This record gives sequence, C-alpha cells and structure tokens, in this order.
Amino acid sequence: MSASQAEVVTYPEPIEKALAQITTLLKGSYGLSPRTVALLLLQDDPEMHDLVKEREGSTYQTIAAIIDRTRETLREPVDEAVPVARQQKIAAIAAAAVTETAPAGAALADRISRLMMNPWTGTPLLLLVLYFGLYKFVGGFGAGTVVDFLESTVFDAHVNPWVNRLVDTYVPWAAIRELLAHDYGIITLGLRYAVAIVLPLVGAFFFVFAIIEDSGYLPRLAMLIDRVFKMIGLSGRAVIPMTLGFGCDTMATLVSRILETRRERIIATLLLALAIPCSAQLGVILALLAGRPAAVLVWAGVIALVFLFVGWLAAQILPDERPTFYMEVPPLRLPRLTNVLIKTYTRMRMYFLEILPLFVLASVLIWLGEMTGLFAALVQAVAPVVRAIGLPDQAAVAFLFGFFRRDYGAAGLYDLYTAGQFDGVQLVVATVTLTLFVPCIAQFIVAIKERGARVAFGMFLFVLVFAFGTGYILNAVLRLLGVSL
Amino acid sequence: MRCDFCGTVFTEAEARPACTGCPLAGVCKKRKCPRCGYEVLPEPKWVKALKAWGGSIFAGYKANR
Ligand SMILES: [Zn+2]
Ligand SMILES: [Zn+2]
Repeated sequence: MSASQAEVVTYPEPIEKALAQITTLLKGSYGLSPRTVALLLLQDDPEMHDLVKEREGSTYQTIAAIIDRTRETLREPVDEAVPVARQQKIAAIAAAAVTETAPAGAALADRISRLMMNPWTGTPLLLLVLYFGLYKFVGGFGAGTVVDFLESTVFDAHVNPWVNRLVDTYVPWAAIRELLAHDYGIITLGLRYAVAIVLPLVGAFFFVFAIIEDSGYLPRLAMLIDRVFKMIGLSGRAVIPMTLGFGCDTMATLVSRILETRRERIIATLLLALAIPCSAQLGVILALLAGRPAAVLVWAGVIALVFLFVGWLAAQILPDERPTFYMEVPPLRLPRLTNVLIKTYTRMRMYFLEILPLFVLASVLIWLGEMTGLFAALVQAVAPVVRAIGLPDQAAVAFLFGFFRRDYGAAGLYDLYTAGQFDGVQLVVATVTLTLFVPCIAQFIVAIKERGARVAFGMFLFVLVFAFGTGYILNAVLRLLGVSL
Repeated sequence: MRCDFCGTVFTEAEARPACTGCPLAGVCKKRKCPRCGYEVLPEPKWVKALKAWGGSIFAGYKANR
C-alpha cells in the first residue's frame, strides 16, 4: 500500500467533515499539508489561528464558523477526540506490524494497568491501596509503633523530665523557663511535636507515597478519577495538585496554575483548602483514628461527601468551561527500593527543615501570648465554638495552633488524645473539623497572591463557617443516633 | 530526572523550579515537569556524588580489562 495515503488517521465524522471543508477553503501556503493546518485550527492552536487570519483574510470568518459548528456537533472535545483517534490508529498499525513476543511480565503489567483504570476494578484497587498504605502502614505502624515509642519512651519518660529539671536548676527566670520547657516550651512542645509526632508520621506517609509514585500508579489514578472529577468541574489533571496537596496545600495552591480553565483553578483551590489534608495532618488523623475502623469510615465518608458536594456546588455556580483531559500513561513498573528510600529521605529532610523553625516560632508566639494573657483570651474566645461542636474546652488550643500551621494543630490534637481527653465521637468530630478547618496562614497568603484578596478572603470565611458547621451537624447527628465509635 | 506522573525524561536545567513565590522556596528544591507540571524531587547531592563515584570505578574497571 502507498504509505502516506493509507495510513492517514481517520477522525470522528464531524471532524472529518470540517477538515474537508476547511482544506478546500485554505489558499495560502503554510509549509504544512492543508489537512494538518486544518487540524491545528480545530485544536485551537493560537499561532496557526493568527497565521490563517493574516493569510486568508475574510475567509477566516467562514473557517471560524465551521470550527464553532464542529465543536457543537461533536460530543467530546476536539482535544480529546484527536489523540484518541491517533492512539487507536497507532494500536492498529502496531498490531498489524508486530508479532508480540513480549515477556510475560509486560503482559501482566499491561493487564494490571488496565484493571487500575477500569472504574469497576480500579475503585476496589484504590481502596486496597488506601487501606494497606494509609490505614495499616501510616496509622498502624507509623503511629502505633514509631510515634508511641518516641512520644512515651523517649520524650515523656526521658527528654522532657530531664529538660525540665535542667531548666529548673540552672535558669533563674521563670519566663525563660517557660520559654524553653514545661507546657509550651520550645524543646518540650515544639521539638517534641516536630520530632516525635509529625516527622515519623510524615515519614511513613512519604514512604508509601514514594512507592505509589515510583510504580507509575498516579497517572492511572488520574485516568480512573477523571470521570468523577468531570462531575465536579475538574478533570483527571487535577489529580496533580490534589496529590501534591498531601505534601503541602501551599504548594498545591500554586500548582493549580497548571489547570486549564479559571473555573478549574478556583474549584481546585477551594477543595484543596477545604478537603485535602496535608500529609502531616493526614498522618496525625490516621494516628488518632488508628484503632477505630468505624471512626475512620465516618471520617473518610464525611470528607469524601464534602469534597464531592462542594465541588459539585461550585461547578453549578461557576460558568461552564469544560476541561479536557487525555494522557498517555507511562508503563507500570515495580518500584525500586533505592528510589523509594531516597525519595522518602529527601522529602523528610525538606519537610523537617521547613517545619522546625516554624514549630520553634510557634512555641515562641504561644509563650508571648501566655506572658501577655493574649493566648488565654483567644482560647476563651474560641472555646464557645468548640463547646458547640461537643468538644472539651482544651480543644480550642489545638484549633488555634491549627491556624498557624495545620500540622501543628493536628499534633496538638494528638496530645489531647493521648491525655485521654476524647471519646470516639468527639475524636471523629474533632478530626473532621480540623481537616476542613481554615487553611493555615501560609496557604492563605499564597491564595491571596494567586487568586486576589477578595476570592481568598471569601474562601477563608466560607471554609471557616463550613468546617464548624459540618462539625456541629456531625456531632448532633452522631449523638442523636446514640452511636459510640 | 524522570517525571513520576507522565514519564517524561528531562534534565534539571529544562525544568523550572517548582515554587517561585512560595514562602518556603528556600528549603524546597523541587522541579516542575515541563510537560505536565508535576513536581519532581531532585537527587540529593550525596546520591549524585555516590553515583559519579560508582560510575568512575566502573569505568576504570572496564578500561583495565
Ligand atoms: Zn516547594
Ligand atoms: Zn510530567
């Protein structure tokens, strides 16, 4: 067969019709085949549009009209239809030309890959990954074993009493003693939160995440989730900022720039601020709920529901610009242990360098607040709200911490939990509220820079009211049903 | 480096730093994939050094044979 003619890709009928019409209209020379020029026009290539506008003069209007009409008749976006048709053609050519003697492993990987992307098999697979990776490993091993050891054996039994004694003996000023040690001291609180609670949990999470990353699961997750995300005005591409959101929502708010439409960017920023916990927060929440499967289910269910409901609502309110998403997935592979360990180490190191000064600063701020009485006043002010959602007054402290840094607040909650301050229902209400609760200061500042003060402030207010509103309703419902979790 | 999301292979020079305008840009050395925007971790310096060292030993071994 003659190569160039027989191997042309055939696109869906409306596109082919438009291509035929446009190619007859094109008079100028572009150094490309007319069909290619027409295809680029249909895919909204801005440079080609400028060129054609310049060279075809008034005919351009006719061409633009054809493009608009095609877009209306075509069910899927051109940007999606074109690569899909090409992909099919490539598969057909490859199937005809190549006799497959692929090793058994490749065929198996291919089959697993397809199972991961099919909604019926992919969803249970995703749940398995979450169950073993997050619940069992981060919540079970990370919290139950590592944090427990560092908290109770290393800090509570040795470091803290030793530091307290040392400070009491050698530091004559009560104020400095309080700054370094005791209840809110830099070493006894700030360092302990960072080293004994947050870092091991985050480390366990980073380890699981590195395995997921290295295996090539993420693009498959994007394809799997694309359909659900389309309902809330996003596309599979939003998996990128969402997964990075686990690293830190601040970063992910910046990353949401890569999304196509303004609508997508606003929805993604809102959902990131509201329903995506950062890795530390997630780690601590998993630790808090570790021994209580029913509580985890309620927590995950409420967050998922909020995520979908708010996304859906935002998609209804914001003007419709449909995002397109299609990607070729890179091959699945067995994660390599060296890769995983290096990634885990790099992330932990970056994270630690980032949080340590902030945790120290938080301790200093709290100390200042204690000295001036401002802290007590703030706790007093927040306490009624905390009481309204059924939590003990001390939880107000954790929420105040949380606004400074989400992970700091979560660590504070963990502290209260180990002190035996919560029952099951209170635990779920507290974790749900803290997950939804205000984006931390850093994220708020970035949101202002990226989306403008008005959008950012509106979002902030919305998130605040929404978080406590959800906590209130959840508490009322759980108490009414008389469940104990 | 290789993007963990889309599989694109690129050099550190081709990629933009991940977080210009991020308050934590000082500690964070991530790079952005030029194709999809996913953030990729750079190799730590000591890993690079180790690899270079391993590579030179390997090259010397091959030259000796
Ligand atoms: Zn960063
Ligand atoms: Zn990429």
